[in-house]
Amino acid sequence: MSTSSAAGLELRQLCRKVGDRRLLDGLDLQVAPGECVALLGPSGCGKSTTLRLVAGLDPASGGQVLLDGVDLTGRSPGERQVAMVFQSYALYPHLSVEGNLDLGLKVRGLPPRERQQRIDATLELLQLGELRQRRPAQLSGGQRQRVALARALLRHPRIVLLDEPMSNLDAQLREDLRPELRRLLCGREQPVIYVTHDQQEAVGMADRIALLEAGRLQQVGSPRELYTNPANRFVASFLGRPAINLLAVEPGRQLGLRPEHIHLGGDGTVAARLLRREWWGHQQLLWLQTHWGAVRVLTGPEAPPPPEPRLSWQRQHELWFDPDSGARLPP
Amino acid sequence: MKSRTVALVLMLPALLLLAAVFVYPLLRYGWLSLHASSVLTGLVPVPNGGANWGRLLDDARFWTDAGQTLRFALCSVALELVGGLALALLLHRPLRGRGPLRALTLLPWALPTTVMALGWRWILNDPHGPLNAAIRSLGGSSYGFLSTPATTWFFVVLADVWKTMPFVALLLLAGLQTIPLDLEEALRLEGASRLQILRRLTLPLLVPYISLAVLFRLAQALGVFDLIQVLTGGGPAGSTESLALYAYLNAMRFLDFGYASTVMLATFLLLLVSLGGGWLLLRRHGLARTTERAA
Amino acid sequence: MAARPPFSSLRRQPAVVGLLAVLLLVLLSASGQKALQAVAAEPVPIRVLMPAPLADAVAGPVARFNASGSGVAVEVIRGPLDTETISDLAISSLLLGEAPFDLLLVDVSWLPKYVAAGWFLPLERWFGPEVLAAMEPGARLGNSLGNHLWRLPLTGDTGLLYWRTDLMPRPPRDTSELVAISRDLQRRGRVRWGYLWQGRQYEGLSCVMVEVLQGFGARWWDAATARTQLDSPQAVAAAAWLDGLLRDGVSPRAVANYAENDALQSFAAGEAAFLRNWPYAWREIEKGEGPVQGKVGVTAMVGAPGEQGGGTLGTWGLSLIKGSPHPEEAVAVIRWLTGPVVQRQLALEQGYAPTWSALYDDQDLQSGAPLLAVQRQALQHPQLRPPTPAYAQLSDLLARQVNGMLTGQGGAEQTMATAQRQSLQVLRSLAGPSGSGPAGP
Repeated sequence: MSTSSAAGLELRQLCRKVGDRRLLDGLDLQVAPGECVALLGPSGCGKSTTLRLVAGLDPASGGQVLLDGVDLTGRSPGERQVAMVFQSYALYPHLSVEGNLDLGLKVRGLPPRERQQRIDATLELLQLGELRQRRPAQLSGGQRQRVALARALLRHPRIVLLDEPMSNLDAQLREDLRPELRRLLCGREQPVIYVTHDQQEAVGMADRIALLEAGRLQQVGSPRELYTNPANRFVASFLGRPAINLLAVEPGRQLGLRPEHIHLGGDGTVAARLLRREWWGHQQLLWLQTHWGAVRVLTGPEAPPPPEPRLSWQRQHELWFDPDSGARLPP
Repeated sequence: MKSRTVALVLMLPALLLLAAVFVYPLLRYGWLSLHASSVLTGLVPVPNGGANWGRLLDDARFWTDAGQTLRFALCSVALELVGGLALALLLHRPLRGRGPLRALTLLPWALPTTVMALGWRWILNDPHGPLNAAIRSLGGSSYGFLSTPATTWFFVVLADVWKTMPFVALLLLAGLQTIPLDLEEALRLEGASRLQILRRLTLPLLVPYISLAVLFRLAQALGVFDLIQVLTGGGPAGSTESLALYAYLNAMRFLDFGYASTVMLATFLLLLVSLGGGWLLLRRHGLARTTERAA
Repeated sequence: MAARPPFSSLRRQPAVVGLLAVLLLVLLSASGQKALQAVAAEPVPIRVLMPAPLADAVAGPVARFNASGSGVAVEVIRGPLDTETISDLAISSLLLGEAPFDLLLVDVSWLPKYVAAGWFLPLERWFGPEVLAAMEPGARLGNSLGNHLWRLPLTGDTGLLYWRTDLMPRPPRDTSELVAISRDLQRRGRVRWGYLWQGRQYEGLSCVMVEVLQGFGARWWDAATARTQLDSPQAVAAAAWLDGLLRDGVSPRAVANYAENDALQSFAAGEAAFLRNWPYAWREIEKGEGPVQGKVGVTAMVGAPGEQGGGTLGTWGLSLIKGSPHPEEAVAVIRWLTGPVVQRQLALEQGYAPTWSALYDDQDLQSGAPLLAVQRQALQHPQLRPPTPAYAQLSDLLARQVNGMLTGQGGAEQTMATAQRQSLQVLRSLAGPSGSGPAGP
């Protein structure tokens, strides 16, 4: 294998097979120091598997995990200096907040004074000082998440992995916590991998998104790249809400049009009939019947749809796909 | 308040049953223990002013048996705990055929004690048991395992451990299964060894299950009867006689119900003290562990 | 596993006694209903509790009796095999006041205790002195207490000495010969062990002790003073002899854990020259295909030189339960079950010793039951276990002490002194602070 090595984390042809099932099939991915890459995809797509392979919790069936050019693949989790925030937070229920932070340091054999210093600093950073004597059961969901985060950051990890760290929180808290999470995690020297199935979270948290499906990487790039220039129909329909319209416009070709790219007016080329409106406050979603089938259109919140709407769009927004394979076709 | 009343009402049948099968006999024993009721009184209880209790204090056999019972209980429960934990950890690991394996290990526990004890008596038989046959085929000569107090005591403990270890293992296995896997993984990421995980994570989280197992088994072991009755009959020379066996002899063989009640009640008090002591010890130890923080 | 009862002492926990009581109550009410039905259906039901081997042995005669139209239907309840276990079972039901049986087959060693507990009805109303007078001397013992007859004997078993006809021309005459022959045979490699007996801590060891004490001129129980005499020089010598058997290798150390069948199995496997056991063992040896089949002789228990040996009396007999609703019919069943017809069959088929003297003169029986002559001889000098209600305690502590000696926890003198001291303690504690005597019948 080539040894050309970039700084940061590099996954090369990473595979994981259990029996006959391929959980992860040849993943190539690079995460630069300080970069946050979100692994996004539906459940079972292989994103958590990837995380466990990087952490060393499961053995890889093939491929390599490199950090700053050094191969970590055969190393035990303890040797990798990886910090991980679990979806459940995995706080030790029998220990106080302080004890939770301390246990890992104790296991690593750090001297008591240094342990205490690090704990105090981290508790301060995360504003957990008043909770230090509490047990996990006495904490709220957000507090637990912060303790889990504190525990991950405490040990100056070389890689930070987050496995759906906010899925147990309510929507409001999730939005509130996003900036804080970014402030704490990203922009330092470690690469960060953030697993989520929520595209909003991925867009909000990550510098780049790697979209996985059925154990295969579909596309990796900035949120904008994935949105404007999806590699295939899966990427196009996974990203963007409301979802992209897929229209069987001509034989052998499928037209993808995002609801926000369609305009209504008398001068459009496709006649339509209004089926129903969903008013969202800042926008409204219109369901229209055309001879290609139902089409979703996103418009401003106030404009009432014309009595005889006709659809139009700009050519540059057209995305063409192979109806069978879903592969992207040239315009 | 209301739900409390409801709970009380719902518990009433159970409490009444408990009173019937537990409190009533205890009161009866207490009353009988203040009476002479033996063949010499024609089994009619005659008040004898605490003479039974005086006799008990003076009865070397009772105190010897008490020591033997306590020693048996402590040793077998300790061994069962260690062995049961090892077995539970083994069965907790993802192995192929784990289901049948678990069922298999439970087999000794499912066996009736008397049947199990007969089996052991046969295995240890001198000279016809398989153990002695094996020793002879290796060129040794038969040994009377149940003929000397030390080896007999050892095999009584062994038989008890063999029989009840699966029960302890099952209980601890249930406890292990309540520990989320990611707790262990989080600690693995810190570079913890298996031993560290066991000591720092698994054992503290198992404390409630261990306490349950210890208290339950201690109560059982302090009342050990059928195993000893069948395997050794209390011998050789009374060296394996338990308090339950002594109480039984007094009641059923000697027909001395006054004294038998005294022995039974005293055994019960001893059990309470032991369990209470064990509970306090576990609680203190358990709390110490679970509140442990950066030292 | 061995063929028969050595491992049969399955017992209940004291805690289970309560449960047992409930079960028995259920049984009782069921049997009560049955009794009602039986009254309507004519023949009076009489229930007898027996150990399973004896119950099986009398099954044939009982069936014939029931078919004879005597107006009584005998129902035999098969109890456990083990003597102590069946006693426990009987006691658990008797304690409840109303036993689900009318007659109980009673071991000779239980009688004083049961009588003192007041569970039996005396039988002299129905059986005069002439009845026992027609029995062998040993069979007359252990049936009467305090001028009342409590039991009519069904079998006249005693402890016997088994010897190997292929290893010696005649059985030993005394204990010294027994040891000398054993050591000679062992030295010549003809046999591994000399003498096998029962040394386990249980009732069987007490039976052995009764015989050895007798054989050395000692007495366990002095009826005149109602005290034990276990620390007499003769008693110590007896204990020392037993201890010496193990120490000198005449008996294996394993004897200290042998019950009847453990010893029998070893002897039947050809491992020893002598065996102490009950009459049943002879049939077990003869019907098995073992190496000593046809090479075993039986003789009465030997004593020390110059002393009269004697076997422990292990007789079974029928007693009438106080509270039986049909005492007359129950007595008729006693009369018939202990009669010559049944005893004859027991002797022929099972080898049990009859109690009636007349049966020993019966030619047919003599040819069909080869042990008969030896059994009669043994019944001339039988040894009764101490006939006191406290026997269970005395036996328990003696067996415990002697077993301790056999397993190396003290010499004979110390052992017997302790046993004597503890025995006196038991007798004192039973007498109570007021010194009230036994609640005699």
